[in-house]
Amino acid sequence: MLTADYFDGRSTRVRVVRLEAAGEDLLITGEDIERRVPMAQVRVDERLGRAPRRLRFADEAFCVVSDLNALDALLSSTAHRDGWVDRIQRRARFVLLSMAVCVALAIATYQWGLPWAADIGAAHMPAGVGVQLSNQAVKVLDGGVLLTSRIDVDRQKALAAKFHALRLPEGGNAKAELLFRRSPQLGANAFTLPDGRIIVLDDLVTIIGDDRQILAVLAHEAGHGRGHHGVRMLLQSSIVGAFLAFYVGDISSLLALAPAALMQARYSRDFEEQADNYGAAVLRVNGMSPGLLAEALDKLSKSHKETAGAGYLSSHPATVQRMRHLRSL
Amino acid sequence: MNQGTDSDSQGRNPSAVAPVPVRFTGSGAEYFGIWIVNLLLTIVTIGIYSAWAKVRRLQYFYRHTELAGSSFDFHGSPIKILIGRVVALLMLIAYNYTVRIQSVWTLAVVGGIGLIMPWLLRNSLRFRLYNTSWRGVRFHFRGTVGRAYRVFLLYGILSVITLYIMAPFMHQRVKAFQHNNTWFGKTQCSFHAGAGQFYKIYLVLLAAIAAFAILAGFSGVFGLFIAATEAQKHGGRVNPYDTLKAVVMLYAITILVVVSIGPVFRALIANLIWSNTRVGEHRIECNMAPLGLIWITFSNLVLIVLTLGLFIPWASVRMAKFQLEAVRLVPAGDLQEFVDAEPDQTGAVGEEAASAFDFDISL
Repeated sequence: MLTADYFDGRSTRVRVVRLEAAGEDLLITGEDIERRVPMAQVRVDERLGRAPRRLRFADEAFCVVSDLNALDALLSSTAHRDGWVDRIQRRARFVLLSMAVCVALAIATYQWGLPWAADIGAAHMPAGVGVQLSNQAVKVLDGGVLLTSRIDVDRQKALAAKFHALRLPEGGNAKAELLFRRSPQLGANAFTLPDGRIIVLDDLVTIIGDDRQILAVLAHEAGHGRGHHGVRMLLQSSIVGAFLAFYVGDISSLLALAPAALMQARYSRDFEEQADNYGAAVLRVNGMSPGLLAEALDKLSKSHKETAGAGYLSSHPATVQRMRHLRSL
Repeated sequence: MNQGTDSDSQGRNPSAVAPVPVRFTGSGAEYFGIWIVNLLLTIVTIGIYSAWAKVRRLQYFYRHTELAGSSFDFHGSPIKILIGRVVALLMLIAYNYTVRIQSVWTLAVVGGIGLIMPWLLRNSLRFRLYNTSWRGVRFHFRGTVGRAYRVFLLYGILSVITLYIMAPFMHQRVKAFQHNNTWFGKTQCSFHAGAGQFYKIYLVLLAAIAAFAILAGFSGVFGLFIAATEAQKHGGRVNPYDTLKAVVMLYAITILVVVSIGPVFRALIANLIWSNTRVGEHRIECNMAPLGLIWITFSNLVLIVLTLGLFIPWASVRMAKFQLEAVRLVPAGDLQEFVDAEPDQTGAVGEEAASAFDFDISL
């Protein structure tokens, strides 16, 4: 025996009724009400937690049942079956499975989905966008973090000339423009803008000293430019930022992303390895040893230990491993 | 369920006029199962299932919300919500794209969105209310398009050009528009708070923000920050720890503001709005404790961060319970007397259902 509240769908009047299954029909009896409705015409709500379930009839009238187990017993004697989503969302096994799949999908998206999407995005990005982004970045950084270089202009020109004389493995010469800047915060560093231009910081030139080793670092940076690593990183961090903004509900944080991504983006190890391999290939094509890049890294790592500040290596992890790899090439 | 029978007797006894509390009976653990299964279905359908998930979420919360022994219900169709979401997404993309790539189109798109918004907001109100019911009687929204343009567009522009001095006035007019045009069946609701009462709460908010700014000034964060940037400008070498310290402290202050001033404001405004709303002759009382809301907001934030989002279902349930159970209905008489709209008016109701877009604006 199952009791329910009956509503006619037109007023808020509550009538207490009894529900019974009678063959193919549902029997509703109570205060001035007596109905017999074919079970096939009754729509039964999902079982959502402990919320009362409604049995709805064609004429807007409905019954509200609070005793969910008794209702399940009554329904099991009829042809009614709960929907599959309804069933799985209250079974611990499926709930745990869903959680595991959601977590796995989130990790996989971060690990592979995002780089894959960024790769496609970078390949289809018009060249003008990269230039615009880079101009914007230079404008923001110049006068803030980046200051005018104190390196002799002749030395700058000589380095650029040597760099542009480098032949590339895919044919042609290195074309990327070099921007010399000084930055007390960033120390000995070089980074590639989304349009391929390379920012070279004073400390990097003075600490390495040897032109051939500096060229090795620039060849490595050219590898970042060739792989569109800047744009890819930017796209990845934008997507992550948009997702976080949606999650946290603050769109304005999106605006801070572009410079932040450029400055603090720690190029992933994959990008570094690709750039190392490309740099090594450039050096070999020009009759130089990939070991030069390893020697440059060695010098930077030694100076890094002395200053213990930000530097080229803090954005380039696992240096020892990389030097070993480069020397083996 | 002692209190359940209590409210039963209050709701069903014609002579009882004691306040009837709203009860929320949802549980975080139960809702977690529904949430995670629907999240997975949303992901594997690239977001399409989110409309069905939203219907289920609203049904979970409405059906666990109980007044006088009877729960609310949500009847919205997932297809309509899906259409609404596609429209909202297209507008968001158009807006973001044109705002970033500034061109002649920027003004056209922003203007177009501004012009269509009042109509969409009014339709979303109709949709949301028409699809909400209690004891089988539906709510209705009967605000006209003309009033919607006046309230959302005209007062919106006014509040911007007066540098938001008129924002509390606009807030009052929006709530009056919403609540005065809400009907429960054949019973009209009414709104009784004046703009002056909104100004008082906004002044409290302003004072609190000013106090925080002064506090932040005294703590030396701004000084530290300015010193660091100035030193950089002149080429000096800045201790990175100073910069880091300033940034972390600024961040902490921002979070502090979000979890303290925000909830206090929301509690005061909710109390004002709901305590000044009536359903026919029946009064509503809302008594949300600002300190309680601070605690719920802060602990929810911490636990969501620590669990990387898995706490969200529990957080939603806690928040809903706290907010809903602050509300009481003070009946002027029998709660059995409400009657649904006349059958001849269901034509208009049908139109309501047909032309509605669902945009979530807070009700």
